[in-house]
Amino acid sequence: MKTTLKLTLLASVVAATSAAQAVNIVSWGGAYTASQQKAYQETYKDPDSINFINYNGGLGEVRTQVESGNVTWDIVDVLPDQARTGCDEGLFEELDRSIFTPAADGTSMDDDIMVEVPNDCVVPQIFWSYVPFYEEGTFQGAQPETIADFFNVKKFPGKRGIHTWPQALIEMALAADGVAIKDIYKVMSTDEGIDRAFAMLDKIKDHAVFWSSGAKPLELVKSGEVSMSIAYNGRIGAAVLSEGEKFVTVWDGQVLEEEWLVLMKGAPNREAALEFLVHASSPASQAEQAKYINYGPMRASAFEIMASGEPWFHNGKTIMEHMPNRPEVMARSIIANPDWWADYGDSITERYTAWMGQ
Amino acid sequence: MASNPPITDQGPLLTADGTPLKVSLQRSLRQNRNRAMLLVLPPLLFLVLLFVIPIGDMLLRSVDDKLVNEVLPRTFDAFEEWDKQSEPPEELFAALFEDLKAAEKVERGKVSVRMNYAKPGWRSLVKKTSRRLKRMDGPPYKEQFIKIDERWADQEFWLSLGIMKDRYTAGYYWNAVDRTYDFDKNVILQDENRRVYNLLWWRTILVSFIVTIACLLLAYPVSYLLATLPMRISNLLMICVLMPFWTSLLVRIVAWMIMLQQNGVVNDTLVWAGLLGEENRLAMMYNFNGTIIVMTQILLPFMILPIFSVMKTIPPSYMKAAQNLGATPTMAFIRVYMPQTIPGVGAGCILVFIVAIGYYITPELVGGKDGRLIGNMVAHHMQRSLNWGLAAAMGTILLIMILLLYWIYDKIVGIDNMKMG
Repeated sequence: MKTTLKLTLLASVVAATSAAQAVNIVSWGGAYTASQQKAYQETYKDPDSINFINYNGGLGEVRTQVESGNVTWDIVDVLPDQARTGCDEGLFEELDRSIFTPAADGTSMDDDIMVEVPNDCVVPQIFWSYVPFYEEGTFQGAQPETIADFFNVKKFPGKRGIHTWPQALIEMALAADGVAIKDIYKVMSTDEGIDRAFAMLDKIKDHAVFWSSGAKPLELVKSGEVSMSIAYNGRIGAAVLSEGEKFVTVWDGQVLEEEWLVLMKGAPNREAALEFLVHASSPASQAEQAKYINYGPMRASAFEIMASGEPWFHNGKTIMEHMPNRPEVMARSIIANPDWWADYGDSITERYTAWMGQ
Repeated sequence: MASNPPITDQGPLLTADGTPLKVSLQRSLRQNRNRAMLLVLPPLLFLVLLFVIPIGDMLLRSVDDKLVNEVLPRTFDAFEEWDKQSEPPEELFAALFEDLKAAEKVERGKVSVRMNYAKPGWRSLVKKTSRRLKRMDGPPYKEQFIKIDERWADQEFWLSLGIMKDRYTAGYYWNAVDRTYDFDKNVILQDENRRVYNLLWWRTILVSFIVTIACLLLAYPVSYLLATLPMRISNLLMICVLMPFWTSLLVRIVAWMIMLQQNGVVNDTLVWAGLLGEENRLAMMYNFNGTIIVMTQILLPFMILPIFSVMKTIPPSYMKAAQNLGATPTMAFIRVYMPQTIPGVGAGCILVFIVAIGYYITPELVGGKDGRLIGNMVAHHMQRSLNWGLAAAMGTILLIMILLLYWIYDKIVGIDNMKMG
């Protein structure tokens, strides 16, 4: 009797400690987290040691944890600007780059990543994009094909769904106004350039419906509230690939954004978290994730695995035409410049908020 | 008989165990006080830990500008020496070089974020330069800096140091009301197209005001009904009031979205009934109207409950007496009944107004372009831009507004008069 009791106690203590040692990964929830769980957690040697938590983005909670010294998160899934700010402010740990898996041909991870690596804190995740889309059958005759069509309510009547923050919209407005993709940030750095972008936005202002959560634009287009909307490419793809919706993406003037994983400074399970990061950033894991969601892997070598493995999506559909960073559309895509937004984000956001409310 | 000492015997009154009565009484009083103290301790600690300290921290953050002065002391010294007219001198570059070199990487990052508030561009400038610090040769530094980034030759960046030279700043408060410092620390208006906060402050006050009035108009008759109907029916009605109150906020907001959007239930019904053309569907969602409608419904119970609880205590005989004495029912209601409900009305109004003024979830979801409030901006600066100083300043202004309102209420109605239920 006594031994049983002791054993039970011992077992529960062991269970409690091992549960406490699970690596906490903070991500965005929904289909995105589900894809990470399938691609990284389920393929990991010890799936039970990984625990996913949802959050709403931003560095507020991260900064609170690090400043108070009470860190409970280990790994955070962050947007490009947060990856930079957090690393600059010392909220994330700088990592030894040599521990990560190189590509099959021996290229180091950092060289395998399709954009310039901003700092030593980041571990590659995916590319996602802001992109316009509509539902098949919305327009008679000519169909929207360029970003300029999105801003043209005469040619393509109906309301437009846009988000409540200026990121990506300024870039798109300038692209629609005829600025060459490579010059966009140069033009944006001048006051005239910003005025030009807002003049373009003025054209759709009276037709604009604003959204702030990712599911909203699909709902707006589906219900007919708007005829065209900007949305996250992953949401559109998921609706088409998994739910059979007839959405058409306009692959022109999309704004590509990075998504990184980072390790919290003072993470409680640092070693285990590092090991998991190595696993999650390997080309095979990156390609695996694209089986469950149509965000583009950051590593070029992962792309090769996918292209040769088509149809790659888990339900037997082909995935390449839904990848935001496939070679055919890269030339017509704007890669977001988080450094520019770090400098001017505050002033542009104020101007955009004022513009929205007037 | 002799064993009893006569009362006239001098000396203090003693208790049974021989201590003076006064001392014994004091001791038992002190024990009681200590016991009471112990009971109050948890809520007191709670208050200090979760209320006084965070709010104190918020007040501090809203004026704190120490960091940049501590990390760049030499630069600010050199800045004071500079005449601000001529080109930035070599000493200034040298001082900044020394400061950046001495600072830790984390400090450099934090400082550049702060400096970027003073002039957009500082952040990438400091970051880019910091990366090359190690590779720089000895003095002179000026050419080397300008070679790294030609913006270093731009006087404006250097002049903007003037905004940050003091250890405490009122700058965040000025920013929160669309003002800013020029390079000599004079308060000037913000660029015209960046003025957004005053608009939001007024809108927030307007929305809170409209919502309070709307709640009052809706709640008063409902409470009257609840208070006067027979128990059996009024209990049922009370559940109808409380059910939405217990339902999740988000569920209620989404329900309103379904009802009010362009292709929603209300618009569809009106079009179907022929009252509206297909083209002129009403825009009741994702704008100012949406915010008002949804906030009114959500805050309604906060108005009904205090008014109801006050009405419940008013004896029906007062109305009858007034009518017996010759008042018409309307007159009796206005002159006798309504004045007695003022404590409940006051409590309800204050409660609704205070909750409304800091609201942000509802405006975020249904506000669209012109239904967003100051709370949304506070959230933006807390979570996205990470400008906690500005967020703290806005929070402090909100707090002051509420205290002011409380004070005015106390002057007009008297706070002792307020009844929450």
